[in-house]
Amino acid sequence: MKTKLAEMQARLHASAHLLRLGRLFSETVLLQVEEHEFYLTFEKGRLIGIEPGPSRKTPWRFGFITDQGALDEFWAPRPQPGFHDIFGLVKLGRGKIEGDILELVKNLRFFKEFMALGREATP
Amino acid sequence: MNGCLEPIVGRYLTVDIAGRTQRIYFEEAGSGPPILCLHTAGADSRQWRHILNDEEVTSSNRVIAFDMPWHGKSLPPEGFETQEYLLTTEAYIATVLAVAEGLELERPILAGCSMGGRIALQLAAQYVDQFSGFIAIEASDFQPAWYDIDWFHRPDAHGGEMGAALVSANISPHAPDAERWNTLWMFMSSGPGVFRGDLSFYTTDDSLIDRLSAIDTARAPVHILVGAYDLTCTPEDARRTAAAIKGATLTVMDELGHFPMSEHPNAFRPYFIDALNRMACARDAA
Repeated sequence: MKTKLAEMQARLHASAHLLRLGRLFSETVLLQVEEHEFYLTFEKGRLIGIEPGPSRKTPWRFGFITDQGALDEFWAPRPQPGFHDIFGLVKLGRGKIEGDILELVKNLRFFKEFMALGREATP
Repeated sequence: MNGCLEPIVGRYLTVDIAGRTQRIYFEEAGSGPPILCLHTAGADSRQWRHILNDEEVTSSNRVIAFDMPWHGKSLPPEGFETQEYLLTTEAYIATVLAVAEGLELERPILAGCSMGGRIALQLAAQYVDQFSGFIAIEASDFQPAWYDIDWFHRPDAHGGEMGAALVSANISPHAPDAERWNTLWMFMSSGPGVFRGDLSFYTTDDSLIDRLSAIDTARAPVHILVGAYDLTCTPEDARRTAAAIKGATLTVMDELGHFPMSEHPNAFRPYFIDALNRMACARDAA
């Protein structure tokens, strides 16, 4: 998972469009995949830290909690219905959003497009 | 010659609706029996641009799509600057009836998507004799909000951009990118508080549930279309709704989402043409 996140980080930093979208986003986000926690620290849209948890000392603004199978489906080139969006995963009961959901919604396009960076190219 | 002139023509209709003067923008194309098209919450009649340009449809039908007041090129009514926009089932019904009357449409087919589909079913239950059929797209009896509608109207963030980011969850990954973003642009550019005001009725008024059994499909057919990728009105929601209407038919559209006519027009058009054929068959049988 850490390798995947590093790949997403590289894609983010190579995307002028995404860095522009995230230029006001400086927050730490918890991504929890089953029992594995990752603290993603963004600074003006750049992902400057990918720290494995658990850590009770790391404050985070919002968190997305899911399972590896759901993420694999989410990252498929053309996901099945429900697996095509993080809110779809929530609706299927395969994802949960915690923390400051309004902050997520204010930055929703940036965060969704960041999460989609793990997706393989559409055939 | 450079340039391509589309057959769509836009005009304005001024009508009184519930005591207020409303200047309604509408577009139309084609000739024949009328089809009156309703857009979703937070958007406008541009969602119907591909059907309005579809010669197979317009060669035998007059297709009309209008912008609800506060949406698209229909200005809000006088005094809007101190008013909180909150759509109601009653105001929506009155608007559809006023436009149909103002344009002198004789028993049009009513095709509505999302909140437009919901109101199409309300009209099927209450004003069946004024329409010749109902195509209810992404339509169901009721769903409570899975989001907070107040997110979309606040001074510290752009409601349109947040709304677009949220509703992108309802667009199929099969949709071509260009049409996905055309669809989202309408949400991004909607007026402040308009998406919230549409959702206030859509997510709180459950009066349709008790009216479904009153819909008489022998007097005007009802066909429901639902996209498999629609998270707001899921196929399960649409099936439940169709099952409560005696004689209603339903088609699940595998590769489509909540805005099928706009997000993926090529995939949608066979389903829409099939729906029109069902309306024609029912008319012939009657």
